[in-house]
Amino acid sequence: MRPSLRPLIGCFTFACLAIRGLALPVLAAEPVGETIDYNRDIRPILSNNCYQCHGPDDKERHAGLRFDLADAAIRPADSGKAAIVPGQPEKSELVRRILSTDETERMPPPDSNKKLNDEQKRLLERWVAAGAAMPTHWSLVAPVRPELPVVVDHSWARNEIDLFIQQRLEREGLTPSPEADRLTLVRRVYLDLIGLPPTPQEADDFAADPRPEAYAELVNRLLDSPHYGERWARRWLDLARYSDTNGYEKDRARSVWPYRDWVIRALNADMPFDRFTIEQLAGDLVDDANVDSRTATGFHRNTMLNEEGGIDVEEFRFYSIVDRTNTTGAVWLGLTIGCAQCHNHKFDPITQREYYQLFAFLNNADEPQLAIPRPEISVKHAAIVTQIDALVDARRAQLDEEKFTRWARQSGKTAQSWTSVRPSALKSSNHATLTVLTDNSVLASGDLPNQDTYTVDLIVDLPRVTAIRLEVLPDESLPEGGPGRAPLYSEGDFMLGEFSASTICAGETATPLPLTNATHSYAAEKTSAAATIDDDLDTGWSIKGRAGEAHQAVFPLAKPLEAAQRTRLRVTLDHRFIHNMIIGRFRLSLSDAATPVASPLPAEVEAILTVEPTQRTAEQQATLKDHYLTIAPELAEQNKQIAELRKTLPKQPTTLVLAERDAAHARTTHRAHRGEFLSPREPVEPGVPQVLPGLPGVANSNRLALARWLVSPQNPLVARVTMNRHWQHLFGRGLVRTSEDFGLRGEPPSHPELLDYLATEFVARGWSLKQMHRLMVTSATYRQASLVRTPLGERDPQNVLLARGPRFRIEAETVRDVALSASGLLSSTVGGPSVFPPQPAGVNDLAWGSAAWPTSQGPDRFRRGLYTYLKRTSPYAAFTTFDAPSGENCAVRRERSNTPLQALTLLNDTVFVEAAQALARRVVQSDSSDPTGRVRQIFRWCLTRNPGDDEVRDLTQFYEDRRTQCQQNPVDAKAIAGEGADPERLTELAAWTLVGRTILNLDEFVTKE
Amino acid sequence: MRSEEEHLRQITRRHFYSQCGVGLGKIALASLLGGDLVALASAATATPPNPLLPKPAPFAPKAKRVIYLFMAGAPSQLDLFDFKPALVKHDGQPIPADIVRDQRYAFIRRDAKLLAPRFKFARHGQCGAELSEMLPGLASVADEVAIIRAMHTDQFNHAPGQLFMNTGSSLPGRPCLGSWVSYGIGSESEQLPAFVVLPSGSNSAGVANWSSGFLPTTFAGVPLRSKGDPILNVSSPPGVDNATQRQTIDLISRLNTRRLEIVSDPEIATRIGAYEMAYRLQSSAPELMNIGNESKETLELYGAEPGKASFANNCLLARRLVERGVRFVNIYHEAWDHHSDVEGGLRTQCGLTDKPCAALIKDLRQRGLLDDTLVVWGGEFGRTPMVESNASLGRKLGRDHHPQAFTMWLAGGGVKGGVSLGQTDELGFHTAQDPVHVHDLQATILHLLGIDHKRLTYKFQGRDFRLTDVSGNVVSQLL
Repeated sequence: MRPSLRPLIGCFTFACLAIRGLALPVLAAEPVGETIDYNRDIRPILSNNCYQCHGPDDKERHAGLRFDLADAAIRPADSGKAAIVPGQPEKSELVRRILSTDETERMPPPDSNKKLNDEQKRLLERWVAAGAAMPTHWSLVAPVRPELPVVVDHSWARNEIDLFIQQRLEREGLTPSPEADRLTLVRRVYLDLIGLPPTPQEADDFAADPRPEAYAELVNRLLDSPHYGERWARRWLDLARYSDTNGYEKDRARSVWPYRDWVIRALNADMPFDRFTIEQLAGDLVDDANVDSRTATGFHRNTMLNEEGGIDVEEFRFYSIVDRTNTTGAVWLGLTIGCAQCHNHKFDPITQREYYQLFAFLNNADEPQLAIPRPEISVKHAAIVTQIDALVDARRAQLDEEKFTRWARQSGKTAQSWTSVRPSALKSSNHATLTVLTDNSVLASGDLPNQDTYTVDLIVDLPRVTAIRLEVLPDESLPEGGPGRAPLYSEGDFMLGEFSASTICAGETATPLPLTNATHSYAAEKTSAAATIDDDLDTGWSIKGRAGEAHQAVFPLAKPLEAAQRTRLRVTLDHRFIHNMIIGRFRLSLSDAATPVASPLPAEVEAILTVEPTQRTAEQQATLKDHYLTIAPELAEQNKQIAELRKTLPKQPTTLVLAERDAAHARTTHRAHRGEFLSPREPVEPGVPQVLPGLPGVANSNRLALARWLVSPQNPLVARVTMNRHWQHLFGRGLVRTSEDFGLRGEPPSHPELLDYLATEFVARGWSLKQMHRLMVTSATYRQASLVRTPLGERDPQNVLLARGPRFRIEAETVRDVALSASGLLSSTVGGPSVFPPQPAGVNDLAWGSAAWPTSQGPDRFRRGLYTYLKRTSPYAAFTTFDAPSGENCAVRRERSNTPLQALTLLNDTVFVEAAQALARRVVQSDSSDPTGRVRQIFRWCLTRNPGDDEVRDLTQFYEDRRTQCQQNPVDAKAIAGEGADPERLTELAAWTLVGRTILNLDEFVTKE
Repeated sequence: MRSEEEHLRQITRRHFYSQCGVGLGKIALASLLGGDLVALASAATATPPNPLLPKPAPFAPKAKRVIYLFMAGAPSQLDLFDFKPALVKHDGQPIPADIVRDQRYAFIRRDAKLLAPRFKFARHGQCGAELSEMLPGLASVADEVAIIRAMHTDQFNHAPGQLFMNTGSSLPGRPCLGSWVSYGIGSESEQLPAFVVLPSGSNSAGVANWSSGFLPTTFAGVPLRSKGDPILNVSSPPGVDNATQRQTIDLISRLNTRRLEIVSDPEIATRIGAYEMAYRLQSSAPELMNIGNESKETLELYGAEPGKASFANNCLLARRLVERGVRFVNIYHEAWDHHSDVEGGLRTQCGLTDKPCAALIKDLRQRGLLDDTLVVWGGEFGRTPMVESNASLGRKLGRDHHPQAFTMWLAGGGVKGGVSLGQTDELGFHTAQDPVHVHDLQATILHLLGIDHKRLTYKFQGRDFRLTDVSGNVVSQLL
């Protein structure tokens, strides 16, 4: 194996190119080095100008020529001529054609809208002359731990990171900035590690601590804080496209916050990143799978769910797997594999077939909800159950034997005998999983289509059949206990459009069995069993309003089936409604009764009633009695009490998880022609792109194998991509700026050796994020002052070289968190269901259904931003304004805009107004009593540093002016000071509110300095 | 050359009724036409472009701004525009299977029965445009309007259909038309956002309909609401009067300026500017929203009533917005999803919208604005020639979603008035002549604004995205 494909010297000349791209005259003046580096100099030219027709996409390939593979590029093309003859530019067709002045010959052709400049042409020519070496793209070669650079000045570096940064700065003739002052540094590291500002006391303690280890200790304290996990979870949730609603039109609420809390816990516990990966992708498949690891699979359940009435559910499931595939590519591989959904990737070596091979790993899971047992709820539940049991026992003692006997005798007269039949074959037309249970009932699970037709074959073992009974049965796996699968609007309901039966002879010929006089035990308004045999699919039978109970419909045959033994009967249940209104559990029985009708009694009770009273067992008798007790008119009061108690039984919170399908129901993945759901082509097996190391061993090709492969030591991308993203969070931009694209069209790293150092170190340190954060924030690079020095500002405005510390606007949620924290309002509660802090009225009115926004009261009004309820079609307005993502797509990078709408939010939004009012209340109760002292106090709560004298003077003057004004306008003063302000001190409070509001609006307040 | 990041920083800085206003438009437009936005956006790896490269001659924009009347829910073209005698003749008969083929429907079956148009049709204007009696207003401006009778789309459900019409993709995450336009040619307003949305009620795809997608948030549509603050937080908090707000912003600016002197980060200067613009917006928004100062004739023309939330008011506001330099105004009217009683539904909705639409065209014309203001009217798809009458859903005499053929119209902004483009088949099921796909319409709108839809791209996750994805042809018959 070659030691390194990027010789050290290359890195510096590359840097010049990269910087030249930024139009920096000073740096650009350096000449390109003599050595041509293929990946640096040549590949970008080829991929941007030539790959479209001569690249990985075999559909678009012209002339049988491709430049993306070394061996193919030097083979003769269809014309017989070789595009590249290494070492011989004069014999190379490529060189001839790019230099040609003949428009019909010149490459790229004029109609491609692409054109090479003279320098690019020269580079290509020189590269061919030098032997046309084509080493693999840098990011696809596993990182090798680089040697530590040697620097001239040994006084600056604090750890290895600094050597890489400093070596580059020395090369550029730049010097690092001095260390930031203590108060700036403490605020910076607080904001970065826990997303909250230090209190003035905490800041001063650190500033006053002269010990060399004071900073390291501070960092350790922050890494141990429970708020560390909150801070970094929000960033991960951007990638996970976390949201509290389903998206699309209906955009209903979903419960997946236990996943969000899992992320917080995992990060706080510093779960190694490889384990963190495996649990989220395949926590249901690991050996020690438990509630926690299953909860982690919520990562990929964060895809959207379309619940519009008329959709094809499978189509949107397809889109969700597309999203999962693309997100997996972006988050772990840093590759834009989504480009290969419709065709072979135009630039990166990923074929469309390989795309669907990755897709196949993710395409074999069911999507259930998982109850998260919470002890306090279990206790409450058990207490109510005890109460109910006591009432049930008491009720038993109240049995009126005489009335019971009369009821049993009366009911026995009409009881009919039914024989349940175990299906010999079962089919769902839309891929639901149908399982036969021991009581011969059939339970549906897995795929939940809008429409489904069940086909059930029964072998008849009776001499005569006069009717078919369809029981629909409750089951705890179904919404509201079933018997239907409908998850929304009418939960647990179904809409059976048509019910039909036929006999099947040899050769599969079906002879319809006409049905007549259908009856039901219960039917919702406007529906009936009769409507399921009326040849109209739009009408049917539903049980709306009575979920959680058993119901039945009886279908007498128009003509009894005589000599029915060994006849094969085929029953079809046709559901063609919307909103997944499909039966979830059912059982079919046959009878030879003379006048079969649906019974209001449960089937087992009816069955017992057909037994002669004297022949009934004690157990049967007890069952009858227990049933009678539930319907006895004389016990109505007790039964009502029991029913009401049942309604109060608390439910465990649930979360969305993945559950791998068993082998018998495994899905087949097809390549989708042009990426279209409606154009499936050949089937593909799970697999990984050829350009990357293969799957280890012969393990099952399931999600677990994919997850393990991602974090295997051979994978060249995952550690680099992850470290790059964390670098981006702390320093404002990644070492690879295009943190979502490490492919051929992504930008090369600014400091390749540093990236590889961090990647290898990350793995060597057991994938510990906390250790890597410690390494980064204790570096001298991080600790630099962030002041933009001239002429540095002009030479490196993006701070690519890091000759100063990072300085940029904090993220949306952090803006709010810092305001709440500084004003003392912030609730420190970690985790739990999402909350509804104030936002301007009517924000939700713009989304479908105008869902209510039940503004939280009490401490929940002041929780950290990551607990705010996130509605996809109407995200929390202030967060959107500050560039928070909507949760509709994986967001690898947030923009950092700077707009007037942000100014309006900070000036006028209720959240910030309340924070200003709280600052006022807080400051008038503080130790400082003179106005300048109070100004200093508010200033430090918000900005940590000490204000300058001129700042104190201006703010104090502002306070005095406002107080005078408020004295003249008591009505305004009251409004400004807000609810709950001490009426005695309104003027003062209002004036301080306006001072606090000013400070909350300073650039510095929303900036990590 | 500048990197993508730098380019965006500039735009971000300057965007939104910004200091440079027109200037930005010119910058982006110049790079669109004269240079190569792809190259511009391809960041640091690219080498500088050859300054001697021949540049295509910029074509002058016909339209400077757009008012897009989005009829969300999808109005029935068969009862408003596309008169089909065959539907009268075959009313109540099942549609032939060879016409429907394997089309998927939201609610009806493939063998549903045909439904005759619910209204009378007549020809109007010198052009003789055939319109339903429900559209007397539109009939009065028929010669200004180009009717596209053979629109078709890929989507047959609301949220995906609306997203497709707005962003060229059925899944959320892409920038919408208004965002692309403001990214491409910026703003001409010193006071107001480049891209304003006037929602009337809710809509299926929510904010994704005016999202900037992967473009910076700066290019997102700003909703102007008829209830509460017209723009979120545009009012100062209770008790804070204008003078206090002014003095507060003055102090903020003074303190920020002092920091700028020490830190030298240009972001601080941007923020100082943003606060100034915020203040200007606070003052201009109430004036903008106050339609009470319009003449009685104008109010009557639209049927607008000050203080009320209505489509008519929104049309009048749209005119006020474009007068003040807003580039793209998107009005939503989500009320056309007539699965049942399409007749009654259309009566109500045409009653609310027909007159204001016509008024908008007349008003723009009389103010000399119509020639360079493009007005677009249409929904996300059409409605079926077949009846929807699902009893268990409580529906009768309605029409289901229909993506194969529907009608939209354009007016002003360089569009040829009095044109009736395209035809559908005998039953109004498929397009039969001069079909216009959603991507074609988008390409045409951009073309009218002087933008080549193939060159207005943005590199995101390794790919140069554009509004029209990989297709789209400018519909020259409309120009």
